[in-house]
Amino acid sequence: MYRIKKQDFSKIIDELIKTGNRIISYSNNGNDFKRINSSNELSINSNFKPSKLSLKEIVFPKTEPLFYYKRTNDNVELKDIKFDSEKTIIIGAKPCDAKAFSTISKVFNWDYKDNFFNSKYENTIIIGLKCDYKDEYCFCNEVGLSQSSKEGSDIFIELDGDDYFIYILSEKGKNLFQPFMSYLIEEIKESKVDDIDKIIDLNKVRTWITDNFDSNFWYSISQECLGCGKCAFICPTCHCFDIVDENYTYFEGRRMKNWDACQFGKFTLHASGHNPRDIQAKRYRQRIAHKFKYYFDKFDELLCTGCGRCSRECPVSINIFDVIKEINAK
Amino acid sequence: MDNIYKPTIAKIIEIIDETPDTRTFKLELQDPEYKKNFTFKAGQFAEYSVFGEGECTFCIASSPTRTDYIECSFKQAGKVTNALRKLNIGDVIGFRGPYGNHFPLEEMKNKDVLFIAGGIGLAPVRCLIWNVLDLRDQFNNVTIIYGARSVSDLVYKRELNEWQNRKDIKTVITVDPGGETSDWKGEIGFVPSIVEKVNPDSKNCIAIVCGPPIMIKYTMPILTKIGFNDESIITTLENRMKCGLGKCGRCNIGSVYVCKDGPVFTYKELKQLPQEY
Repeated sequence: MYRIKKQDFSKIIDELIKTGNRIISYSNNGNDFKRINSSNELSINSNFKPSKLSLKEIVFPKTEPLFYYKRTNDNVELKDIKFDSEKTIIIGAKPCDAKAFSTISKVFNWDYKDNFFNSKYENTIIIGLKCDYKDEYCFCNEVGLSQSSKEGSDIFIELDGDDYFIYILSEKGKNLFQPFMSYLIEEIKESKVDDIDKIIDLNKVRTWITDNFDSNFWYSISQECLGCGKCAFICPTCHCFDIVDENYTYFEGRRMKNWDACQFGKFTLHASGHNPRDIQAKRYRQRIAHKFKYYFDKFDELLCTGCGRCSRECPVSINIFDVIKEINAK
Repeated sequence: MDNIYKPTIAKIIEIIDETPDTRTFKLELQDPEYKKNFTFKAGQFAEYSVFGEGECTFCIASSPTRTDYIECSFKQAGKVTNALRKLNIGDVIGFRGPYGNHFPLEEMKNKDVLFIAGGIGLAPVRCLIWNVLDLRDQFNNVTIIYGARSVSDLVYKRELNEWQNRKDIKTVITVDPGGETSDWKGEIGFVPSIVEKVNPDSKNCIAIVCGPPIMIKYTMPILTKIGFNDESIITTLENRMKCGLGKCGRCNIGSVYVCKDGPVFTYKELKQLPQEY
């Protein structure tokens, strides 16, 4: 672990901007992330609440082209997309956001490799920041994380007066700071382990989901759900997408990969009219079961980092943490 | 870096109208390199696309033993199948595949094989039927039971005749009551009751069942009654898919991705899945 002066950290950031890196930081009001052009725009504040949108857009954009097509009379030409290779450095990711990258990397890389995701993820360096924010929607401690967990971060920083403590955690992080080691002062600090008191037993939750697939509970909790899909769009780990053709002219266009959400009624609708998840209760069950059971069963990883965005922003105040608590209490 | 979403180009070299709303395309892969390396197994599916309209999913309906071309059969139902239907011989489409698992051909060898199909459910079964018939001496008795709503809804009619005329297989064709024509010589009745009537020997036999959910629902108990165990009944699931690669997240049933772990399942496996398909 190292200590670095804030102004030295800023110097490093300016240097990184100068050498062509894309630097992403919280905006001053803490609502969102943005690209910055100077260290003056940096805002590193551990009291910010999770931004409105998660950081997943950096590796999995809302919409992105997969290839271009051009139709001629009796043929079609396909033009490749150059994979994104812009070096990106995220500064101040909360533990709940930092972890999400490695979580969704599993689904994009089992068997077939999605290089649209990989090309961005490989070029992204995540500088995590210890979090000091907690509200009634946060529950990172229940899903194996904590306010100071470093999972998913390449570099992790903690505020300490006019200094930062810096942990260099991965090869990527090491390479990034290689030229700047002279700014760092080595320090031995006893790393404090967060007190994590859990109230939820996720094994119990999983067992309940398995045994109660047809329970009325799914109907009762999804009564208010509008099926708007907002929860999925702002979630750092929701990764479902649609593949859609977009024409510019009759002859030319591109095939797009667009965010999609399992809460939409047409998500699983067959052309025949049959729909395996024909009512909101089944769609809501999918959301909960996918996050806490299916993904865990398949990839040994929870599809939730407890950031609380979906509950904080839900237009009808459905709180996923309450849902899990309720299942846990059964 | 590979782009797993980019299709290869296939040309339509023949169009066969199976029924008023179901059509078969014979396709030729245009990239010689891709064509040379292309192999698949009976039961696998692919993504077919009309550029400008999108992609849709159906099985490869021709046999892996016929390597010059690929066939697919589709029913006009949604946006892409409507667009596919407007195409002519010589037009090109996008093709990605093969994806998914396949029928256990090796396990079926030296056993009896019972094929049961309804409507366009014959497409994946037909792929396997020709696969088996092209290697006929490696299998014991082969029985085909196929039914559709009406005579005009029977697909692959020319091949049904061929199968009925073959001495080395038993083929029973049926139409739903009311679907017969005045000169219909086959059976009249729903597929499950015809299966019961044919009463195939379940000993050392694998049953392949594909068709509409309602047919599958009523056929399974009859097979069980005849004596088939759950491991020797095999079916396929059709879920809506986009990527076919286990990424896009809509075909799952519990933690099973139909596009990767399926579409072929034994009845035993099916019973272990959450009932959401």
